[in-house]
Amino acid sequence: MRVNPNPYSDILAAVAQTQQQIFSDEQQIASGRSVIVPSDNPAAAAVLVQNADQTSQADQFQRSIGSIQGAIQNSDAALSSVTASLKQAITLGVEGANGTNNSADRAAIATQVQGIQSQLLSLANLSYQGNYVFAGTATQTTPYVFDPNSTSGVTYQGNTGVNSVTLGNHFSLQTNLPGSQLFSASGGDVFQSIQDLITSLQSGTGIDTAVTELGAASNHIDAQRVFYGNALNQMSAQQTYLSTETTQLAQQQNTAGGADLTSVISNLTTAQTSLQATLAAVGQTAHTDLFNYLK
Amino acid sequence: MIAEQGALSATTNNVANVNTAGYSREQAVLVASDPVVVDPLTFGTGVTLQSVESIRDPILESQIQQQTQSQGQFSTLASALQQTQVNFTSSTGDIGTAISKFFDSINQLSTNPSDLSLRQGVLTAASNVATSFNTTANSLTRQQTSLDLSVVQQVGQINQLTQQIAQLNVQVSNLQNVGENAGTFIDQRTRAIDQLSSLVDVSVIPSDNTLTLITANGAPLVTGQKSFQLQTQLNSSGLHDVYSQGADISGAITSGQLGGTLQARDQEIPAISAQLDTLAAGLANAVNGVQVGGFDLNGHAGTNLFNPPPVSGVGAAASLSVAITDPALIAASSDGSAGSNGNAEAMYALNSQAIIGGQSPTDYYSGIVFNVGNGAANASAEQTASSLVLQQLNDQRAAVSGVSLNEEAANMVQYQDAYSASAQVITTINTMMQTVINMKTS
Repeated sequence: MRVNPNPYSDILAAVAQTQQQIFSDEQQIASGRSVIVPSDNPAAAAVLVQNADQTSQADQFQRSIGSIQGAIQNSDAALSSVTASLKQAITLGVEGANGTNNSADRAAIATQVQGIQSQLLSLANLSYQGNYVFAGTATQTTPYVFDPNSTSGVTYQGNTGVNSVTLGNHFSLQTNLPGSQLFSASGGDVFQSIQDLITSLQSGTGIDTAVTELGAASNHIDAQRVFYGNALNQMSAQQTYLSTETTQLAQQQNTAGGADLTSVISNLTTAQTSLQATLAAVGQTAHTDLFNYLK
Repeated sequence: MIAEQGALSATTNNVANVNTAGYSREQAVLVASDPVVVDPLTFGTGVTLQSVESIRDPILESQIQQQTQSQGQFSTLASALQQTQVNFTSSTGDIGTAISKFFDSINQLSTNPSDLSLRQGVLTAASNVATSFNTTANSLTRQQTSLDLSVVQQVGQINQLTQQIAQLNVQVSNLQNVGENAGTFIDQRTRAIDQLSSLVDVSVIPSDNTLTLITANGAPLVTGQKSFQLQTQLNSSGLHDVYSQGADISGAITSGQLGGTLQARDQEIPAISAQLDTLAAGLANAVNGVQVGGFDLNGHAGTNLFNPPPVSGVGAAASLSVAITDPALIAASSDGSAGSNGNAEAMYALNSQAIIGGQSPTDYYSGIVFNVGNGAANASAEQTASSLVLQQLNDQRAAVSGVSLNEEAANMVQYQDAYSASAQVITTINTMMQTVINMKTS
């Protein structure tokens, strides 16, 4: 049978193909990735797009948690101070209720309680990073102001809005409680009870009732603090979950698009050996024909 | 002896053309001369070099031409799509990343909706989304324009080759009409048809001493000694259509480089552009829809974040742009107060909602990446396959028509030996004649 007498073009094509393989292997080793352009593995490229999006989301959720934590910790600390102040007011109230006090003594105590009232007002008007944290969603409005016409001595200027922030797929966390719910709740009204104590100390009647009211308000605040404690716990649990998710996403990314270095290096070695062998074979055998022997 | 010398010249020609592309080896056809009958004996009268014929296989050649057409088509298509997919390779500026960062910035804003720097972050991210769409869409358009230039160039090459083939037809038929071997011209013509096949789908219809070339849909390229030029004409999209004899045949050219170029220009790239437009328009409309349902930092009803894309969606990716420059105008609030993030949350939720063709924005985008990658991978695979087949066919052709130096050396020795032997016969006859002549004189 007659065969192609000039196989050089085939040999060159084979050499070019081997060199292409070597180039692609080297690219994989250098980048550590097996999917460099989508056509390398279209399905994996699509998975990698989604993976990158999910990773970006998880990173963002972590950042968002970090941003929210500060406001919630500060809110919780403020409420802790509120209960401390209320306890102090209760102590003063009990002291004022003692029959040995005359009206001047009670007036002096009332003045002290007014100091506590100012403290409570400033705690309720806590601002964190430019936002009033107890104003509902009206974060640019001072929530409580003194108001002599109000029975509680103050007026709430905020609203009842609450915010929730998405901090994970299918996980959204409420991040605030409005001041009206915290400090002006019926059966636990902080400002009403403190105003009642001041009034009763000044008049000398109803001090015990006011002290009872203060106790209820203090209990109410303690109960509301559970919200902040839960929020902090949930965020901390979510942080743990997100870092696990990030690890899994990184593993998925590696499975879909990472270079399998062991097999790539093995391929590369095979390709190099094959290239050398091809070239050596051509060099040794190709240029002999009958003309060489005709003398 | 003259016959042997003639045969040797065929060998010489073969050896000289051992590296000539498209050359088919020639073979001397030696036949015994008509015998002379001298009753009752028949005497041979020697040998005649009847012809020198080129060795070729017409069926193989037509297979090579067909395979060259698909190879031309897929190599052009593959290289076009390889170029396209670079736009969809993950990087810091690709559309997928820009969309992720945009939604990330909204999530961040949600943690502190009245913060101006976070609002600015959303505007910047929105503008990056617009830029990434613009860049990708423009790059596709540029590629389309450069493919259009290729169409014009390829039509020019086709016209040059058909002209050349028509001229070779003249030369071949002139020689064959007087019974000469037109091998060299046929080789040149075959090579020109191979080159033409790489450019366009062409069918060869051989007839007496000449041939006719037509494209797949029957548009004539060469009939006998006449070539028909293809024309290009600008269409309403600013791209060139291919015309033959006044008819638009662009859609009918499906093979060869021209077929591949037209496929990439008119089908593949427009399909990707259309998907980008759907994504850009869907995203912009959805974001705007949420934006106008909320309130900005000043408590006013929200306005569009993106300039509304064309209603048809066509050109949405190329023209996507951000409508507002004041970060306070982002409608994060759902109740009108500055600290509300309800509307920002609603906007963030678009991230996972099926707002574009039944898919979330990122899922839709990953679908585009899959399509682009798959198109490029398929075209490359087809190219590799047709290259391999073509290589095998070329091997077969070379096995039939290629010049083998061993064979030529053997032929040379053979003709040389025959020549020497004939010469020896003449010497012997000469000696015999001398003997006869000497007999008379002695």
